[in-house]
Amino acid sequence: MKEFLGFGLGLRSTHFEDIIQTQPNVDWFEIISENYMVEGGKPWHYLEKIRADYPIVMHGVSMSIGSVAPLNLQYLEKLKQLAEKVEPRWISDHLCFTSVGGINSHDLLPMPYTEESLTHLSSQIAKVQDYLGREMIFENVSSYLTYKTSEMTEWEFLAQLTKNTGCKFLMDINNVYVSARNHNFDPMAYLNAIPASSIQQIHLAGHQDFGTHVIDTHDEDVPDPVWQLYRKYAKKIGPVSTMIERDGNIPPLESLLKELEIAKTQVNDIWFEQGELKHG
Amino acid sequence: MASLADIQNQFMHLLQNKPNDLIGNIAEQGELSQSERLSIYQSAYKIRLTQVIEQDHEQLGKYLGDELFDLMVLGYLKAYPSTNNSLREFSQNLPEFLTKTSPFKEHDILSDIAQFERLLLQAFDASDDKVLSSAALESIAQNDWPLLTLNLHASAHLVTFHTAAVESFQALKNDLAPPNAKVNTPRFWLIWRSPEKITEYKKVTEEEYNLLSLIHQKNNFSHLCQSLIGSHPPENIAVVLIQYINVWLSQGLLKSFD
Repeated sequence: MKEFLGFGLGLRSTHFEDIIQTQPNVDWFEIISENYMVEGGKPWHYLEKIRADYPIVMHGVSMSIGSVAPLNLQYLEKLKQLAEKVEPRWISDHLCFTSVGGINSHDLLPMPYTEESLTHLSSQIAKVQDYLGREMIFENVSSYLTYKTSEMTEWEFLAQLTKNTGCKFLMDINNVYVSARNHNFDPMAYLNAIPASSIQQIHLAGHQDFGTHVIDTHDEDVPDPVWQLYRKYAKKIGPVSTMIERDGNIPPLESLLKELEIAKTQVNDIWFEQGELKHG
Repeated sequence: MASLADIQNQFMHLLQNKPNDLIGNIAEQGELSQSERLSIYQSAYKIRLTQVIEQDHEQLGKYLGDELFDLMVLGYLKAYPSTNNSLREFSQNLPEFLTKTSPFKEHDILSDIAQFERLLLQAFDASDDKVLSSAALESIAQNDWPLLTLNLHASAHLVTFHTAAVESFQALKNDLAPPNAKVNTPRFWLIWRSPEKITEYKKVTEEEYNLLSLIHQKNNFSHLCQSLIGSHPPENIAVVLIQYINVWLSQGLLKSFD
């Protein structure tokens, strides 16, 4: 049975003081793991205070699990040490590659959806989980291109990956929407193909729509099409820990709290009706 | 067909503007051409790393102006592609780049401002050492003082500039015109993080700078006293040193003693 934490926010440094002063009605916070891979200073000072009051999950951006380069053991060791200090409910990263040949793109670059990638990722996931001594959760990334070598759709690939490895997913609904627009597929076909039992967490975010294509920016409010997709998906999936992820153009905490209330109103009636949630 | 390794290597070459055939491995889809799809990734790479330099070196950016800043970023991205998982480290070689690359190397102040901004970042992230209290020092027996070695807080950094780098940083931060880059005498600076987690810096005298450097090099109290001979009457040296130590204690600059 997967743990339902409720509705959370990405913890951002501009909100540290507000959170400590106002103790907002947020069920949990997600930290960017790399931001705390430092020896000390303000981020740690605030995190120590915030984690005393809220559950924390860790979300990484540079594991590069899909890279053909050897796993970065130095990074994994830092991640392991961080997890020992933070004691997160779970740790996630992205199904992609970020660095190859010693160079880091600092981007979440898409994998070709091939048997070779499946075999490679299955092996990498096993190694990482062995090293960390715990399960990892992996997020779907948005993309702007399709490789000619791909032998299956992204959703077939993810479904097969969880079948092979038992790994769980962090489903970013905005990323599904962005990729659906850029590759002209039905986002619900994607979401329906992934076993509900494998979804540990949901991200909601915004993007920029250029008409011919959509760029995943995570720097805007969650737009209507993403809310609609979330609501539709909620009916299928039941209660899943959900959060608003904002990476740029960070608004005041109050704005994000309002957005989080919208998230609750989008799905609470569905999950109450399903009997999965109890009125508090 | 291209292997996973081929695709990944080609992708990294694309981002670094090196010859590659990634476009030959991209399917034709919808309204966007293959090259337009690839350019989304190329732009994102450049924008992301440019933003890191802008954020970490805000005052240097103002000093240079948009045109020279863009030239610097372009050259730096090519010379020092990111090799670290953390973006925090990405512009760590910028001071060196500015000392080696025209037209920047003709202006020493540029690498000095960049170095100062890096030291501020290092102080911000330094480990949370405990801060030494005056009570702890008072408990030391008088006979033990000559061999006493003080330890600086991990966030403390000392730097000497032969330009008005920090004065220019301060002026630009306050939206004022920077002063003349040239200075007649060297400037001695101390950068650290206060116990309130605020990054601080102050101009120090050559004497204070030398004392802090000696402490950093693990010299004992007796050596510190010797360094002041000639600058102060012998009977005042211990008092002068104690006064310095009291200031450093109040600023949270000392973490321990051996």
